[in-house]
Amino acid sequence: MNRDYARYALRRVLQAIVVILLAYVFTFVVISVLPGDPVTNTLRNPQNGFTEEEIARIVSYYGLDRPVYEQLWDSLSRLLVGDLGISLRSGLPVGRLIGDVLGSTLLLAGSALVVALVLAFAIGFGTRYLPKRYGQGLLRAFPSLFLSVPNFVIGLVLINVFAFQLGLFRVIDSEGGLATFFAAIALGIPVSAQVAEVLIANLDHEAGQEYASVARSRGLGQTGLFLRHLLKPSALPVVTVVALTVGELLGGAVITEQIFGRTGIGSLVERSVTTQDLPVLQAVVTLAAVIFVVVNLVADLAYPLLDPRVRLGGAKPRDKAEVAR
Amino acid sequence: MKTSRAARRVRPPGRTLRMIVGLATVVALAACGPGVAANTGGSGEPRSGGDITFLIDSLGDTWIPNNSAISSFQGHIWGHLTDKLVYVDEKGEVSPWIAESWEQNTTATEFTLHLRKGVTFSDKTPVDAAAVLANLDIWAKGDATRGINPIGLFPKTYDHAEVVDPATVKVFFKAPTLGFIPTLGYHGSILVSPKTIALPAAQQADLANDLGSGPFVLSSWKEGDSVVLKKREDYNWAPAALKHQGAAYLDSITYKLVAQPSVRTSAVQSGQADVAYNPSPQELKSFSDQGFTTATPRYLGFVNGFAVNTRIAPFDDVKVRQALQHGIDRKEIISTVYTEDWLAPQSLFQSNVPGATDHSADFAFDAAKSDGLLDEAGWVKGADGVRAKDGKPLELMLYANPYLATSKSVDELIAQQLGKIGFKVNIQAFDVVTYGERVKIGSPSVAAYEVTRSFIDAGIVAGVLTDANKGENWFGLGQTDQKLVQLASSVASAESVDARAPLLDELQGHVLQQGYFVPLTQIVQRIYLQSPKLQGVSYNGIAYANYYAAWLG
Repeated sequence: MNRDYARYALRRVLQAIVVILLAYVFTFVVISVLPGDPVTNTLRNPQNGFTEEEIARIVSYYGLDRPVYEQLWDSLSRLLVGDLGISLRSGLPVGRLIGDVLGSTLLLAGSALVVALVLAFAIGFGTRYLPKRYGQGLLRAFPSLFLSVPNFVIGLVLINVFAFQLGLFRVIDSEGGLATFFAAIALGIPVSAQVAEVLIANLDHEAGQEYASVARSRGLGQTGLFLRHLLKPSALPVVTVVALTVGELLGGAVITEQIFGRTGIGSLVERSVTTQDLPVLQAVVTLAAVIFVVVNLVADLAYPLLDPRVRLGGAKPRDKAEVAR
Repeated sequence: MKTSRAARRVRPPGRTLRMIVGLATVVALAACGPGVAANTGGSGEPRSGGDITFLIDSLGDTWIPNNSAISSFQGHIWGHLTDKLVYVDEKGEVSPWIAESWEQNTTATEFTLHLRKGVTFSDKTPVDAAAVLANLDIWAKGDATRGINPIGLFPKTYDHAEVVDPATVKVFFKAPTLGFIPTLGYHGSILVSPKTIALPAAQQADLANDLGSGPFVLSSWKEGDSVVLKKREDYNWAPAALKHQGAAYLDSITYKLVAQPSVRTSAVQSGQADVAYNPSPQELKSFSDQGFTTATPRYLGFVNGFAVNTRIAPFDDVKVRQALQHGIDRKEIISTVYTEDWLAPQSLFQSNVPGATDHSADFAFDAAKSDGLLDEAGWVKGADGVRAKDGKPLELMLYANPYLATSKSVDELIAQQLGKIGFKVNIQAFDVVTYGERVKIGSPSVAAYEVTRSFIDAGIVAGVLTDANKGENWFGLGQTDQKLVQLASSVASAESVDARAPLLDELQGHVLQQGYFVPLTQIVQRIYLQSPKLQGVSYNGIAYANYYAAWLG
């Protein structure tokens, strides 16, 4: 097992590095083929009234008039020495821009994940614990409901009720504790849906297994059965789903941060996309790729260790999705 | 017993349902009407102290002073961090500020600025002749080797400046430049410390390194989030026009970015913030009915309107251009898209621009006249109401200007109005980036370019109406309209305001009679919703709110 595991781990790490590099190059190519760049756009603001000649002079200082492959080569060689470049929009170093906002987003995403997990497990527990005739049907509808209500609607309703009506938090102090809590709820609700779906499906599956019937026949109550027997095997696939929701959390953060007026990676992306700030976008996409790949890598690598039923058995590791089902 | 048990079992879903319905109602009610803040405003004496929060929809892009000062958003912050050489009020009147007085030679090619003494930047370096010289040079030329732009609209006739003594600067131009002194009060002409000017661009981009001599200094800032300013206690060189001296009344101003317009206005209504920038014009009336202050100051500049490219058929025909002018009902635009705070245009300049004269008769709404003009020009109405000539329909493509939020609604209304006189109007709306790429003045696909441009001095027209001196050539005329060329160049080379006034009047008349420019409405690009407690706010010639003399009641 150990040698197999090491080979498996090495292969996954190499794959991860390739994915990250591809993300970096891909972003560059996609943004480069779009017309316009932040420098030219600012200069073209009609208030400025600059001549084409003046615009060309500044654009050439930023090297934006050179062939795309030269710019890509520069960008790649900078990356290798750890230099993320200068933001074309703000003129600030990209590393500083990201460093300033990363904490806020990680806090938001982390809190949202906690909210999502609490919600998902509460729903999961409810579907087993509440009598079938009422609670269950309603609770089972929650994940679809959560998925279908857009994130920004939840956010706007929360702000209206809790900030403007009840005055629990101030929109101006967007990084405050309660403001963060409500932002995390807005972001966490859609994410909880996916986790809850998988959890409910697995709980149903496990509850139908013989060992559950045996436990029940020995007089174990619903709560005891849930906590002692069903929870652990049903929760394991959730690890995989949680790893996959990282993308959801980062993507949802763009909208949530916008609504709640927070400054984070999401709002930085929003500003950079609208102005086509290539160096920042490259860095953020790469960062997202790194986070996504690392979290999934950790989940994949941890899985065989957590669940003895998953064996790497010689050839290929079992598809984690299969286990989840 | 049995029934009661059954009843108990049935109750919970009922209760849940009721709860859901109840919650939904609360949410719906909550969403409908944000709480109305009490109207506690009143007159009284200004008092010191207090902090205000200004919610803004963007904090612009870079903070490199030259590259950013023209931004509609960052201008608010620069206006408090920095001073200018002259002050220009909302009527375009120029008054002394850091320049106590000035003289010019008879040909308006040499200007001498006498500086106020004892003025310092926030790093305590003096605002002296050497500092002013460094600023003039960087405004005029920028520094392409460091990626620093010149400032927009600074007179391109600038030659050089000389230090006469520590309080006197002499500025030389290659040609008469009457617009020089007013331009010193424009967006971009902000005085920053020579130490800042000498910094590399990446360091100037950090607002903390950009030092001015204004009544407020930077307390903290976070990129894309907020800028917090605190008052400078030893500030003592405000322009007399602001009617207050010494330190500002307010302790601090927080500019906070809130992208959602409804969140900005609700925050002011619920008392969580003091000013919301750019609420929608249609909402203004309901805000003022609720006791809030709204302000729609006009900037000095061109009115909102179309510059017509005369090289594109059928707009090479003066009758078609005139039909366009008379076919637009400006009253309807103001009552539909805006409120009565917006004014109908009288010329191609806003009516507060010194030198603007009333030419509204030249383009007054008269659909019958438009019909007549188009008939004369040979455009025949077809069965579908669209006119055609030689098998070609009378078409016009309008590109909504993304720098003006109401532009698309205005264009839609114009499409209806022009439709009645036989035009087929199509509308294309792009975001700022695509617009900048595709919609350019003089491009063969843009017959009508929507102008939104502020300026401080009407002399600017000389540089945009024709292609003389690399001008922008708004109407695609080049040098073909001799009268325009001659008027523009005599406006440019005028040596005094009095000599220039009749020329400007004639120029406005000519441009409008020829149908080169189609005015729509006077433009308000900066709209403020404000707490009634906040008083003493002033607006300068470019419609920025100034809180130096403001106080909380």
